[in-house]
Amino acid sequence: MIDFSSPKHRSKFGYMLLAPAVILMALIIIYPILLSVDISLQDVRIARVGGTQAPWTTKNYDWLINSEEFWNSIWVTARMVFFVGGTSLVIGLATALLVNQKFKGRALARLFVALPWAVPEVVATVIWAWMLDSSFGVINWLLLKAGFISEAIQFGSNATAAFFAVCFVMIWKGYPLVSIMLLAGLQSIPAEQYQAAKVDGASVWQRFFYVTLPNLAPVIGVTMVMTTLWVFRDFSIIYVLTQGGPIGATTTLSMLTFEQAFSFFRMGQGAAVGVVTMIICAIISRALVGRFAKSVH
Amino acid sequence: MATIDFKNVQKRYGQFKAIHDFNLHVGEGELCVFVGPSGCGKSTILKMLAGLEETTSGSIEIGGRDVTDLGPGKRDIAMVFQNYALYPHMSVRSNIGFGLKMRGVPKADIDKAVNEAAEILELTDYLDRRPRALSGGQRQRVALGRAIVREPSAFLMDEPLSNLDAKLRTQTRSEIVKLQKRLGVTTIYVTHDQVEALTMATRIVVMRGGVIQQVGSPDELFSQPANLFVAGFIGSPGMNFFRGPVEIENGKAFTRFGEQRIPLGQVPQKLTAKEAIFGIRPEHLQVGETGVPVTLSLVESLGTEKILHFATPKGQETDAIETEIVSDEDARDKKTMLARVIDDRRYHDGETIRIALPEGKVHIFDTVTHEAIV
Repeated sequence: MIDFSSPKHRSKFGYMLLAPAVILMALIIIYPILLSVDISLQDVRIARVGGTQAPWTTKNYDWLINSEEFWNSIWVTARMVFFVGGTSLVIGLATALLVNQKFKGRALARLFVALPWAVPEVVATVIWAWMLDSSFGVINWLLLKAGFISEAIQFGSNATAAFFAVCFVMIWKGYPLVSIMLLAGLQSIPAEQYQAAKVDGASVWQRFFYVTLPNLAPVIGVTMVMTTLWVFRDFSIIYVLTQGGPIGATTTLSMLTFEQAFSFFRMGQGAAVGVVTMIICAIISRALVGRFAKSVH
Repeated sequence: MATIDFKNVQKRYGQFKAIHDFNLHVGEGELCVFVGPSGCGKSTILKMLAGLEETTSGSIEIGGRDVTDLGPGKRDIAMVFQNYALYPHMSVRSNIGFGLKMRGVPKADIDKAVNEAAEILELTDYLDRRPRALSGGQRQRVALGRAIVREPSAFLMDEPLSNLDAKLRTQTRSEIVKLQKRLGVTTIYVTHDQVEALTMATRIVVMRGGVIQQVGSPDELFSQPANLFVAGFIGSPGMNFFRGPVEIENGKAFTRFGEQRIPLGQVPQKLTAKEAIFGIRPEHLQVGETGVPVTLSLVESLGTEKILHFATPKGQETDAIETEIVSDEDARDKKTMLARVIDDRRYHDGETIRIALPEGKVHIFDTVTHEAIV
């Protein structure tokens, strides 16, 4: 019998405790990844696990590189990440700074800031789809009444309108997380740093640029990675609002994956898009986390 | 360089009065230490002087200029914080130069000033490092550098040594005093450590519950404490107290300590009560052939210096004032008295020795007001 309390065997005990979790992770995370890489290398329409394996080929990736749809979806995804990420950061930071102040009803304000995050994504999107409807939606009615537009915006068929409608709902759904994370970051900045800056004669803006922002940088980095990855893989908002249309204006990489695999039943091509998405996400998160973490340490 | 004046300064938090009618004049170039137990208001008054806390009423003047309603950046002061408050993302150079940069000083001038300050504080080799890569003592020096580089009219220091270990604290303490003397800048220094106060200050302000207890030089505070609190707070270990009768004979006052009659010299004018609280410092108790026999309950030896513990004579304990005496030592047993001796004799627990209370070293306090009777 091994005595696991002895210093000699303590690490073995640690590995034993870790093992179930590691094996489980391998099964539910690594296996599907390997499976999708495998499928992406096969020229199949409907993949069957455990059936006869088609020979490996780069045909799907050849299609990818030469397909206009793929490059369009990369462009759409990039724009969406940029626009949603940037706007969520600005709104999230602004609301975080706001509810970090001391005022009456702060707890309630914090609750309201976090609220969109708590609503299930599909439910929220269905409600927004109603509100954005071109014939009976409240948004068009408001814009018409206020005189901003002369005829209803066709969120379903106007490419630009559809893109921004998707972005808008994503921001609405995504900024609370940014706000919550940044609020936690703000609260960890020592009050003395602000006091020291005040004594040093720094104005409100200077304190924001020289104390708040640098101290928040690591949190901003992590939050941006999370938001970016979320926009990359979000499916339900786009699917409920536009199904990727009109004419590919809101077809992001994850929409394209779905379309190829389950609408056109070209699972090999769908898997190839998925694999490329995964690689892009890995590179982006590595770069962002590395850069922001370095700026402090 | 400037004088600092507090005139009837008060601070309230809602119903709670944190500072009661604070009046103080700090002269040019003085190193004035505010000392007191935690919650006595010493940090509050410093923050009010810095402009980080609002003043409820009264006025604060720096160099004769009323700054009560000015922002911290407009008071021409520099502050050193307990946790240094360095900016972690900036190099030592940028940290020290930050205040000048905020004031729009040209870059060449900032560099020159930073280099000079770094030289004074021996930080030249560390200018391009981040605070994270420095030791506690070095960080403290960076914080000092940030203060001196601006050449302000006053330094405010809020417990700047409490995050350092004991040895470094003693060393930095003397460095700060030397630096302050060299620059001659009026300095307000806040601490809860009476040893720091005694060793550094030209003048000490002892505070408690938002009220000034006594203002004076270290010597004055040590030899003429104004009340029981100051007597117990200043000194290490603090003063011994015992209750005793007052006997007057031929214009001379006496009390009793155990079986022995203790002469107190001339009768102080205000001494009219039949009973008083008497105090004597541990270092003033004399071990010898005469005196009251006491049994040692504990002997603490620090090499040549020894702290002897023995019981207060029966019936003379001062339990009633226990809550009065707050010192930085651990809650001291009020039924025990201490004697501090420096000699080569060996003492051991349970030994009976004779203790004498020399005339002129015994302090007399009122049993009700706890004020010193002189």
